[in-house]
Amino acid sequence: MGKIDLTTSRRGFLQATAVTGAAGVVGSVVGEVLQPTPSEALAQAPRPETKITKNVCHQCPARCGIDVYTTNGKVHAIYGTLDHPISNGKLCPKGHLGAYILYDPDRFTGPMKRTNPKKGRNEDPRFVRITWDEALNTIAARLNGLRDKGESHRFALLTGRGWGASDAGLTDNFGKLYGTPNASLGHSSMCSDASKRAKQLMDGNYSYNAYDYRNTNYLLNFGAAYLEAFRPYNNNLQTWGHIRTKSPKTKVTVVDIRVTTTGAAADHLLLVKPGTDGALALAIAHVILTEGLWDKKFVGDFNDGNNRFISGFSVDQSTFTERWTKGLVEWWNAEVKDRTPEWASKVTTIPAKDIVKVAHEFGTTRPAMAIFERGPTTHTNAVYNGLSIHALNALVGSMYAVGGLMSQMGVPYGALPWKVDEYVDDIAKAAAAKKLPRIDRVKTAEGPLWSNMIQGIPDFHMEGKPYKLDTLMFYLTNPIFSTPDCTRWEKALQDIFVIDTSPFPGETAMFADIVVPDHTYLERWQDTPTYPFQGYPLTNLRTPAVKPIHDTKVFGDTLIEIGKRINGKMGEYYKQVGNVDNVLRALAKGFEKNPGDNGVNSFETWAEKGVWYKKPYLWRQIAGEFYEWDGVDYRKPMSPEDVKKRLFKTESGKFELRSSYLEKYADFVNAKLGVPKERVGFPQWLEPRYSGKGDLFLVTPKTPMHAEGRSANIPQAISIYQPVSGGRNQTFLEMHPKPAKARGIKNGDLVHIKSELGSVKVRVHLTPAARPDTIVLPFGFGHWAHGRWAKDRGENASAIIPNISDPISGLTSNYSTLVTVEKTESQA
Amino acid sequence: MARWGMVIDLEKCTGCQACTTACLMENSRLPGEMWQDVLFYSEGEYPSGKLSWLPRPCMHCENPSCVAVCPTGAAYKAENGAVLIDWEKCIGCKYCMIACPYGVRFYAEEKQKTQPDIRNVFPPSGDKVWDPPYKMPEHVQDPKHGVGIQPKNVVSKCTFCYHRISKAPEGTTDLDPNDPATRDFTPACVVTCAPTARFFGDLDNPESNVRKLIAEKRGTRLLDQTGNRPQVYYLAGESPAIPETRSVRNPKT
Repeated sequence: MGKIDLTTSRRGFLQATAVTGAAGVVGSVVGEVLQPTPSEALAQAPRPETKITKNVCHQCPARCGIDVYTTNGKVHAIYGTLDHPISNGKLCPKGHLGAYILYDPDRFTGPMKRTNPKKGRNEDPRFVRITWDEALNTIAARLNGLRDKGESHRFALLTGRGWGASDAGLTDNFGKLYGTPNASLGHSSMCSDASKRAKQLMDGNYSYNAYDYRNTNYLLNFGAAYLEAFRPYNNNLQTWGHIRTKSPKTKVTVVDIRVTTTGAAADHLLLVKPGTDGALALAIAHVILTEGLWDKKFVGDFNDGNNRFISGFSVDQSTFTERWTKGLVEWWNAEVKDRTPEWASKVTTIPAKDIVKVAHEFGTTRPAMAIFERGPTTHTNAVYNGLSIHALNALVGSMYAVGGLMSQMGVPYGALPWKVDEYVDDIAKAAAAKKLPRIDRVKTAEGPLWSNMIQGIPDFHMEGKPYKLDTLMFYLTNPIFSTPDCTRWEKALQDIFVIDTSPFPGETAMFADIVVPDHTYLERWQDTPTYPFQGYPLTNLRTPAVKPIHDTKVFGDTLIEIGKRINGKMGEYYKQVGNVDNVLRALAKGFEKNPGDNGVNSFETWAEKGVWYKKPYLWRQIAGEFYEWDGVDYRKPMSPEDVKKRLFKTESGKFELRSSYLEKYADFVNAKLGVPKERVGFPQWLEPRYSGKGDLFLVTPKTPMHAEGRSANIPQAISIYQPVSGGRNQTFLEMHPKPAKARGIKNGDLVHIKSELGSVKVRVHLTPAARPDTIVLPFGFGHWAHGRWAKDRGENASAIIPNISDPISGLTSNYSTLVTVEKTESQA
Repeated sequence: MARWGMVIDLEKCTGCQACTTACLMENSRLPGEMWQDVLFYSEGEYPSGKLSWLPRPCMHCENPSCVAVCPTGAAYKAENGAVLIDWEKCIGCKYCMIACPYGVRFYAEEKQKTQPDIRNVFPPSGDKVWDPPYKMPEHVQDPKHGVGIQPKNVVSKCTFCYHRISKAPEGTTDLDPNDPATRDFTPACVVTCAPTARFFGDLDNPESNVRKLIAEKRGTRLLDQTGNRPQVYYLAGESPAIPETRSVRNPKT
């Protein structure tokens, strides 16, 4: 008999001994024991060195500093950087996925061009590999041609998750030099634009907030997936461990439309009817005012100290003196006086006694803060829901207070040494002089307050008014999969020359005419300033852990290389810039004068530490007075002018409960939403316009493992068990047993979810804890491309969600769709 | 020598599963081979439905039933308290998987649940089940302690990150990931746990932080009635997340 392979089948070995007897086997066993065992052999092998490089995670916008472990040229581990203020040595579940992304076997290995002129879901693009020179020259020839024809505006660049001046930050100058208003189209209208807009309308900062969570004692959370996705996710988790065990323990109330881990871990979970968060917030404001619980030092008080806020009764404005708010009494008279808990109970389905309880807790605990993001704002009443929630932060005095909300400070980067204005040539000037609108129509009469409208682009292109796109470049966004009514893109992209930069074979790439694949984040240099975090400035530097494993190019260099190939002054500009490395070194010059708290004062020290930051945050509100940091403490008093310049950047320099900014758009808001013009500026209840003729709300949350889609082709992530996604290799629809029973649906049945756009077939998981009127299908599944594991796994709800947006902010109304559900004929 | 044990504070645990992915990454596990899983339980009905979760590593029992049933001596209790598998002795008979009350032993079945089978994408070299580019460095792999990529036809399980903890200096009482001196010796799930729900230390040392936590916060052990005497303790806190239905072997949802 042959040598028994001990390592491949030990059970087989035992069986062999049993049947053949000892004699035949002994020899081979002796032969085996003369060899070193695998563990001994390993012990004798030389110990290679493990290198740790500093990078920044790319699974969400949090900017967690990471240590990337590389041995023998291969990345095998990623941990949080211990001395990084956001990650603090920790990571969220997505943070550990980086090596799977780097070594994804379905990655593009280099630049390619399409050879099949037909485009479609079932058309093989028949990509062929080309050189970088050919790819860049092809793109440049096309772009030069557009400029020669005076049609430079027909080139657009659509970005998603690009960060920093060395990356997506390069697109502004590219557009300016090239002559297109479309070089910096973003995706924020399917992210959280309404929350930024609501905040701007009240406190003057068009930004997400920075939060002092660790010092708050009450967190009232409207639809922010704090323990699942809300950034900075990892730091939120760290904060959770602290605030839930500190003394006093931070009390948490979550308002959501489905049972989440965030809601389950909180003290109270109020499951509201989708789109009614604003009504709940107004009722909480009503209780705070009628019971005299508002922060008098921040808001002000009645002149004689007697509370005249009585349910249903108007108040004489002259009896109240406001401090840092503007319009409280007008707001009360116009809206809040009638927004009783009993009224809100009918709108939200939350019992009045529960609303009162939460209002008491929130109104009597300091510091307290109300946070919100996408959840309450994915409806047509987005901005008004946001205003109603953010108003609570004024009532409890949490703006710029300990345990409250701040705005994020910027980074003192060095200026780029190349004077872009000197390189704007006549073609670009002529293009700018046309004053053409962006293809996404932002800041036009259609959307004066939109900052992006990615979901409108396919329609606007096909309408062709006032122009159609010719060439569209995508960077880190895949709207063909992710926008509402996503299949519209498949028609729109038929007559557009598509350039995709993704390293992955996503849906967008399948429509690409040319692919210039980017590095993954572990292969690149890049600056990454923080998202709003704790207010003080912070920026990271990505350092490659390994040389690019394929023939890819970092997006910034691709853009610079295209720029070099544009005729005239633009080409000269980009020859001066040279590459991303030069940009980064110029940025780092700013740290020479402004060394970080960790000693970072140069490009080299920035790369070594991975992060530059400078504490503290400079401003604070203490008991209704504003102070600036004087080097030791917050002791330098701020004048109302200082506060207006730095903090409340509104017309009044106050937190506006009657938004003067929004009132400028009174005609628009009245026309689009029917709000009486004189009421436009107030936070108020506005009935959401649900779309569809069904009877169940379809909501499509992101799961904790979603990683902005970057986990879609990672089998390790796909197999993880998670509530709502199903996990363990399956996706399912959460549905309450009552609506299921009424439709003859049993647990595990296959059903059709139908909207006016079509249907998707999914398996039901009966979930008694869910709202009976709301079904939950996780987002991120149902790819028809994107790699062997992503493809054909589950269903993509985006295909049946109608494209409806909040007219004010432009944010998609993803969670406002009413669908029908019925059992499918075939259960196979 | 320390007898290592883990404490998991359920009041802090957010169910995020960073422990799960950190373990998959650190130990080069196959998709679905989740040595450190978190189980979710949905109980009750709207509007008072409840979602709870339970992180579930190997309990590294003092009296491990898996070791008792192992016919070849492959399953063993190491001196430092870890329950390990010697892959050079394991015959893949799976008796231990049946004997374990906690469902924390794994076997790479012929048909992987998550298709396409990643073992065909990164096919094995030599006797291992697969050979991914992101595998644990060869010099760290240690089949006698069940560390690294397993050979075919063996059972695998959580090792308490034996390759890390076994390098801790003698006399260490607690492995604190926030202390640069002990961070590298701390198990991956404890290192990454963002809400700091996990603690790791010497159960034999009454001065250790884990012993203090068990005493102060009334640490409890899962399925203690089996007599296995786990070395993983749970703190249920003020808002205990221990599910009503304590089926930890075959969770449905």
